[in-house]
Amino acid sequence: MSTVNVVHTKDRLSGIVQSVGRRPNDVSRRWWESALVFAFFTAAYTWFGYWVVVDMHVVGFETLDRLNRALMVWHNDPAKLSAIGFDYPPLATLLIAPLAIFRGLVTSLAVVPLASAVFAAFTMVALNTMMRRALVAGPLRYAVLLALGANPMVLLYATTGTRHFVWMALVVAALGALFAWYITADVRFVMLAGIAFSIAALAGYTSLVFFLLSAVMIGAILARLGADGTEVEGTVVGFASPTVYVIALWTVFNLILLLNPFAWITRSSDAAASGGLETFSAVELLRATGELVLYGAPIAIIVLPALIFAGFARGNPFALWLGMMLGASILLPSAAVVLRLTDSPMLMRNSLPILLISVIGAIWLARSAEEGSTLVAALVVVALVISIPWTLQAMKTYRYQNLEAPFAAAITTGESQEGAQTLNREKVGIVSEQAMAKYIANNVSRDNSILTDNAQTYAVMMLTGHPEYFFDRIDHSDGPWKVAARDPGKYDIDYLLMSASDNGDLLTKLYPDAAAGSDAQLQVVYRTPRYVLASVPAGFEPGGVTTGQLGAS
Amino acid sequence: MTTIQTGAETRRSPRLTDGVDQDLRHLVPEGICRTFRVMPYASVNGTVLVAAADADDAITTQVVAERIDRPVQLVRHTVNEIVAAIDAVYPPQETEVETPDARRARMQMAQMLTRSGLITDDQLQRAMLEYSRTGDPLGDILVSHEAITEDVLVAALSEMYQMQRVGLAGFTPDFEVARRLPERLAHSFQAVPVAATDDLVLLAVARPLGAEQAAEVEEALGSPFRQLLANRIELDQLIQRIHARHYAEVSTRLLLETRPEESAHIVISGGQKAALVTTAIVIVMGAVIWPLQTAIGVVAACSLLYLVVSFYKFRLTMRALGTHLETDVTDEEIAAIDERHLPMYTILVPLYREAAIVPRLVRDINALDYPRTRLDVKLLCEEDDEETVQRIRDLQLPPHFHLVVVPDSQPKTKPKACNYGLQLATGDFCVIFDAEDRPDPDQLKKAVIAFTRVPNNVVCVQAKLNHFNQDQNMLTAWFANEYSMHFELVLPAMGAAESPIPLGGTSNHFLTAKLRELGAWDPFNVTEDADLGIRLHREGYRTAMIDSTTLEEANSQVPNWIRQRSRWNKGYIQTWLVHMRNPFSLLSQTGLKGFLSFNLTMGSAFVLLLNPIFWALTTLYVFTQAGFIEQLFPGIIFYAASALLFVGNFVFVYLNVAGSLHRGEFGLTRTALLSPLYWGLMSWAAWKGFIQLFTNPFYWEKTEHGLDEGHG
Repeated sequence: MSTVNVVHTKDRLSGIVQSVGRRPNDVSRRWWESALVFAFFTAAYTWFGYWVVVDMHVVGFETLDRLNRALMVWHNDPAKLSAIGFDYPPLATLLIAPLAIFRGLVTSLAVVPLASAVFAAFTMVALNTMMRRALVAGPLRYAVLLALGANPMVLLYATTGTRHFVWMALVVAALGALFAWYITADVRFVMLAGIAFSIAALAGYTSLVFFLLSAVMIGAILARLGADGTEVEGTVVGFASPTVYVIALWTVFNLILLLNPFAWITRSSDAAASGGLETFSAVELLRATGELVLYGAPIAIIVLPALIFAGFARGNPFALWLGMMLGASILLPSAAVVLRLTDSPMLMRNSLPILLISVIGAIWLARSAEEGSTLVAALVVVALVISIPWTLQAMKTYRYQNLEAPFAAAITTGESQEGAQTLNREKVGIVSEQAMAKYIANNVSRDNSILTDNAQTYAVMMLTGHPEYFFDRIDHSDGPWKVAARDPGKYDIDYLLMSASDNGDLLTKLYPDAAAGSDAQLQVVYRTPRYVLASVPAGFEPGGVTTGQLGAS
Repeated sequence: MTTIQTGAETRRSPRLTDGVDQDLRHLVPEGICRTFRVMPYASVNGTVLVAAADADDAITTQVVAERIDRPVQLVRHTVNEIVAAIDAVYPPQETEVETPDARRARMQMAQMLTRSGLITDDQLQRAMLEYSRTGDPLGDILVSHEAITEDVLVAALSEMYQMQRVGLAGFTPDFEVARRLPERLAHSFQAVPVAATDDLVLLAVARPLGAEQAAEVEEALGSPFRQLLANRIELDQLIQRIHARHYAEVSTRLLLETRPEESAHIVISGGQKAALVTTAIVIVMGAVIWPLQTAIGVVAACSLLYLVVSFYKFRLTMRALGTHLETDVTDEEIAAIDERHLPMYTILVPLYREAAIVPRLVRDINALDYPRTRLDVKLLCEEDDEETVQRIRDLQLPPHFHLVVVPDSQPKTKPKACNYGLQLATGDFCVIFDAEDRPDPDQLKKAVIAFTRVPNNVVCVQAKLNHFNQDQNMLTAWFANEYSMHFELVLPAMGAAESPIPLGGTSNHFLTAKLRELGAWDPFNVTEDADLGIRLHREGYRTAMIDSTTLEEANSQVPNWIRQRSRWNKGYIQTWLVHMRNPFSLLSQTGLKGFLSFNLTMGSAFVLLLNPIFWALTTLYVFTQAGFIEQLFPGIIFYAASALLFVGNFVFVYLNVAGSLHRGEFGLTRTALLSPLYWGLMSWAAWKGFIQLFTNPFYWEKTEHGLDEGHG
């Protein structure tokens, strides 16, 4: 006879802390409200972004690079999934790849704002759902969303196609799921959070920090509620496995393709590849961190202590955890400097996650305030509204930034920023790229006929809408490209597309005379201030090209 | 502790005729009030006064005390006073109130058994309580709880009704005489002619026939008859012996003859053979003329199949994760069931070479929260399995267990045994449990309630399956992961979407009449459960899921697991072939949604066949970078294949995790992460089943049970 101890369903579930197998009481689903919020913010950011990008010419080149890669995923000859590369987290490009299915949308730049607007709108939906769970009244919810949505930092990154909202939207969604889990104890929200974090991890590596903190929080809260070890372990495994899987997979890819399993960290465009990191003393870092919070997300100055107080004094572990998340988001920029994981230190955009997590913290405080929740939500609206002009003013002068100043100038003056300089002395605008792209589109029609270093000329490639015209470093990888670059005549190349100045363009390094317009064989057929298109004559024999020049690049 | 007071104080107490206190009127359930003739009516100084016809009866005293959590005082009243009060509080339903004759008979039975010392007060009390809930005959209750034997009961009944008895244990029937009563009447009235003269038939009956029944029997026999009381177990065995040939014929040939197009006795129809051969010729010709393009086309078709099957399953599980889709029945609703209205429930338990499990099986079935007097348990054994048959006989089980010996004939399959048992079923509902199954005790009641909730076209309620030995080893843990996903997520979503559900092997509860109408199970199909699910859907019926689980024994040994799984895969393909004999008919019966759902569900069997091929190609490519493999996956096919490889595979791993979390089986999440190894075993079994489909299509790969650690 069997001695197996059979535990029937009722007895088995009696010892479980979480709600499993059935949906506990929760706010009712309101798809229409989520859809409306999503549609409103997508439309608003796309419309506004189109004005910013197309009329004001405020557009980040990184966005154009990712869109060019997305274009190559569909339209290269042959179509190249590997075009997503290792410079950006893979999903930062893959998730916008559907926008590049139609070339016309890309060349018109209409998809540039859309590439960030949809993710920003998704963030607003997640925040709205959180506020519903926090029982914040409808008008106040919308006021919070509008006040946050109109924040100039949010506006800049939601409307110019940048990748930051891609991962932040997913992190906010994950935090929203954990928010719901804490309220309902429904284990399904842990799974949702796990999946959201796994996508976020491949869209922005910073999200891994929030993922780790969340994993610890889940375990700690369950243990505090009296869950046994199996439940704690099973839940944490269920939460963590998607992220662990994607990171392991990506690491293996890096190992196989780049022979460095951690190239995704070291080669990332965010990491300290240039070695040109500014030196900060501890005091400077502290001050820079303070300024980042003060100008980018001043609301955090109130929310962080409030969360910590609620956590310790009122025994509110979720508030404490949100406080830790907020603290981590504040410390991350300086930690990246200390660990030399960035060559763009203390950028103002780092205030975005601080701002968003502050808002989530404020929502939780509103929920925890019970009768006072309306007052707390109203105070959040006031604080967000007040921070709009404050942050806008700071964007004009903040030392570490990308396009903040031109963006602020564009929306305050309504004038195109074409030709303006950023505070770190980069030129704003895309007229030069548009002109070169137009010339190519009108005069070239043969695939793989233009040899180019796509790492420098991606904006032109993207604006032609025809990545298949180009023989670039992605087509056959770097090795074959370098061979072809040394002797383009042998590879049936008609043109060389180069940067006019030596900014790291490998072709410009190889053929500096051609770039300067003084090469007898490689005649310039079209030139813009930033690019040169030189023709490669039949039987072209390169002279004076050495492997050393390429190797040094 | 409740105290009971009786005696002198009684005279000073209020009387029932003064009225019943509103707060006390429902303190004791109606059944107990009527059975024990008691009624709580007043409260004096915290003591509840209970009117009782027999205030000195120890059993009545104890029953009342156990139900009232306060001091109780029994106060003697007349029967008329108490009955009037009960009728006022619980207005009588004509059919539910015990007639004076019935009450007299019950009291006579109780006195006869107690005075002769055949039962104890405890046994009587337990039986009386069950009687108060169910209203079933007291003698039957006592037999079902094994307080007395069926022979004792027959003797008592014989005394009460002044009827002669007949012993049928070693009886050799005259088949000609015995078959004078048609099987239908013999079965439904539990009666068999055992001897006959020119003008009289001696009829063995389980219970005295009513006037209408007697008239019907007399008409069928064509002569007067005299009833002889018989042991129900012996009578049941005799009926089976007499009509065995008929039952065997029906169980094998009913579907084949009434719905030949739905029977799997032919594996591939002529039309299907032609289509398969044509496809093969086209592919071969293509491979000769355009080898690369043909290969790409085949890879593309396989990738597409993979993609749509995966997407469909993913969509289903996502839906189930977001909502509670099962028909819900709460504990309160189960507690509130009036057991007098519970239907007869047939439990079919196919057994083959499982003698060792029988005692445990009996224990688990007796542990079900359902009146045993309303259970009709058919233990279905094969004729050549003498050990199991003997074991059951040795146990001398009460008459709610019926030993059914299925005559040895081909095909020797579980569905044939079930068809055999179904013909003998007396339940309004029926369910299949495997020998090692351990259903949640309240599952039958949940199913009964669920049937009152679901739409009229729902004829089957499927409970969830999982495993009790999931911790035994990696294989059992994987199996539990798989079942968690399938029964917690996939099937509830399919049920909610009204898609054709391939039923699980056990714990599917049917309306018996509808099941018979459908032709029951296909004895030639080795996944008769899946096939029946599709068939009932084609007839316009539906299946719903209930939130109740039956724990089974997971196969813990790889060879045994492979045998079981290969049968399932063979059956899935068999079922697909049967229902795709006429795709247009299937489409018109199930609609486009049902048609797609059926094909995508069955498509998973084909996906398992494809898995090793794609895994081999991937591995080969990783190690050799072979150009021809790259050529097989151009552009969009490469993207689809990559998405399936890197995203799809993980999604399915994670759905296993999700299923286990959703079920609250937190200890299984780790093993779920390793489920790709399990998929390898699944593909192995799939290929074995696929090959067997052509070499030995009707062979039933028997799963050996009792391999869990408890048997070690």
